[in-house]
Amino acid sequence: MAVYELIYSSVLESEEPMLDRLQALLYEHSVCDRDARDFMLAVSEAFTNALLHGNRCQPNKEIKVLIDINQKVLCADVIDQGRGGADKVKKKCPSSLLSEGGRGVDLMRYCSTDVKFVEDEKGDLTVSIRLERQDDRQFNK
Amino acid sequence: MEMSMRERDGVAIVDLNGRLDLSSGTALKERVKSLFEQEKMSIHLNLSQVEFINSSGLGSLVSIMKETRLRKGRLTLSDLASYVQEIFDITQLTNIFEIFPTEKEALSSYQPVATN
Repeated sequence: MAVYELIYSSVLESEEPMLDRLQALLYEHSVCDRDARDFMLAVSEAFTNALLHGNRCQPNKEIKVLIDINQKVLCADVIDQGRGGADKVKKKCPSSLLSEGGRGVDLMRYCSTDVKFVEDEKGDLTVSIRLERQDDRQFNK
Repeated sequence: MEMSMRERDGVAIVDLNGRLDLSSGTALKERVKSLFEQEKMSIHLNLSQVEFINSSGLGSLVSIMKETRLRKGRLTLSDLASYVQEIFDITQLTNIFEIFPTEKEALSSYQPVATN
């Protein structure tokens, strides 16, 4: 098992280094392409939510990404300092195909085994993503 | 993400390479906006080198498509990698974009059909 803690400030430019680092970790642990892409997509959606809707792009607020990689499961906790809004995030969905936003939560759910939204007493939101590794199994999605 | 520009038979072609996400999606919107300012209303995006797309990247493409329609222009996409195609499928965006298997087919669709 390997656990990594990554912390980023809430600016648009943080997304790329976060994904670069995550991709490198998944490669380092020989995670297959399919699992890596699914996990990166789920984490990127949670990260974007934290950046835009939780921390509202305030650079003084941090986004913490905890990554846990083991032989069977990939886990990530993406934690914002947004002080509330879990219900709003969970309910978000595009009002029509022509909406520019609102697809993130659906994509997160599609490409992971389980997603949980937990708000602490301060209102900070943790999005917990869990993906059972498929590796050499037949991909059915 | 890297972006490069070409033009063929009046169609502006943008080659995308890398991840299409929040920051690169914003950059892409700016790039296409500059094409509109040059009166280029036929836009083709070649996604063959796009290895990753998320909802922010999809949102950018939807925004570009809406702006193109508003300007009475046309937007086409081609060469989606299987994973990117899957993301379009599950979000049902295949229903609103003109997506072609290859750039050649996309560009052919811009040519007027000969009639007798």
